[in-house]
Amino acid sequence: MNGVRDESAGRLEEALARLPRSVEPPGDLWPAIEARLEPRDSRSGGRRWQWPAAAAAAVLLVAASSLITASLLRRDNTRDDAVVAQRSPAPSGAVLAPAAFGPGQALGPAYLAARGELARSLEARVARLPPEGRLQLERNLAELRRASEEINAALELSPGDPLLEELLLNVYQDELAVLASVNQMAAGNGGTTNDPTRMQL
Amino acid sequence: MTNRFPRVRHALTRSLVMLPLLALAPVALAGTPINQRAGADPAGQVEISNVSGSVVVTGWDRPEVEVTGELGEGVERLEFSSSGKLTRVKVILPTRSSRVESTDLVLKVPVGSSVAANTVSADLTVRGLRGSQRLQSVSGDVETEAAAEDVECKTVSGNVRVAGSGQRGMLTVTTVSGDATVTRVAGEVNGNTVSGNFTVSMGEAGRSRLRSTSGDLGIRGRLTPDARLDFESISGDVRLDLDGPVSAEFDVSSFNGDIRSCFGPKPVRTSEYAPGSELRFREGQGGARVRIKTLNGDISVCNK
Repeated sequence: MNGVRDESAGRLEEALARLPRSVEPPGDLWPAIEARLEPRDSRSGGRRWQWPAAAAAAVLLVAASSLITASLLRRDNTRDDAVVAQRSPAPSGAVLAPAAFGPGQALGPAYLAARGELARSLEARVARLPPEGRLQLERNLAELRRASEEINAALELSPGDPLLEELLLNVYQDELAVLASVNQMAAGNGGTTNDPTRMQL
Repeated sequence: MTNRFPRVRHALTRSLVMLPLLALAPVALAGTPINQRAGADPAGQVEISNVSGSVVVTGWDRPEVEVTGELGEGVERLEFSSSGKLTRVKVILPTRSSRVESTDLVLKVPVGSSVAANTVSADLTVRGLRGSQRLQSVSGDVETEAAAEDVECKTVSGNVRVAGSGQRGMLTVTTVSGDATVTRVAGEVNGNTVSGNFTVSMGEAGRSRLRSTSGDLGIRGRLTPDARLDFESISGDVRLDLDGPVSAEFDVSSFNGDIRSCFGPKPVRTSEYAPGSELRFREGQGGARVRIKTLNGDISVCNK
């Protein structure tokens, strides 16, 4: 048994001795690898496209929000509740403030589409809420917006912080939940007519 | 006398003319009394809709729904129908009207009914029901008693008050700015608010997930061995008071708020450069899990 083991060990040593002492590296492989990689421009193209779009959307939405808020305040001061409920548009422009996920990270098109869709349907339905309800909604959507801005600012200081990312994600989810919830409540309440005067208090 | 006291005479005459009008006034201002009743499935569904005023729903042992109260002046009619398992009670407003008074509805429904009620500013009160409840109001307050079935309360600015019976069920409370007070609930409690304050007292804290943006969260309860509690706030404070022995794993962190715990180790800084701190430890065997996260809100965890 020991003889067999000695014989195989000897063969292994001989084979090892025949191996070259050093191996020269082949030619530079990097150029070939680089050629196969996606060009840098095309990789960053998505984000470059997102920024101008997000900026344009932001300007539009902030403008819409301001107009609607001003309109609401003016009407609240000059009209009675019924007239306000009938004529004033919803403050939903405010909900469409630009959203981002940390510095330089625009949110995905699917999220923005869902948000936009909710805000559009909200516009008609929130107009049916009593003025006090609308103002409460406006104030609290602004609260959510402030929260997301604050977390985004903190993310600039601590990029990639998992706590901040989680909180930010949840704030955006909460915003969608509030929009969906108010949408549903405004659609359900009264439930008998589309006439906004019916929602007056 | 006539010439000597013209003012007195004038006042007397005016009073005599006004008296009958004053007597009639309450009748003219009051709404229409409601008194309707229909047979209903003992475990059916009751849908209620009112705009302003109040809705009070009470469970009773009869297989019928009774609606009393007062229809506000200017209201078109009360829709009351019962067919199969579904009973509908809806206050119908006229298509065009500048003035509609509030309506008060008092309903008695089979105790096993499921109730879905929607209002704008009308307060909602539910008592003595064993079926599920879905209660929604924009600015009205919602007050109910929870049994073993699911209860969902949703408001924009209205406050929510839920009194549990200690039975296990699922409670979901959603408000935008309304406060919520929940007592004696067991099973699962989920809540979400933007700026409202939530105070939740659970007998047995099994599953709970509460989130707020700026509202404070206060939770009290005894952890079940496999409890899963998850609380989160951006700028609101979170306070957890645990009754009885604690056996749980804690994962507590705040980016900018203070963390205070009456037991376990001290919180540690998460980074040399950022203000965050966290507290992770196991108490006892650690079968339950408690997770609390805030951005700016302070966190307090204590046991008694």
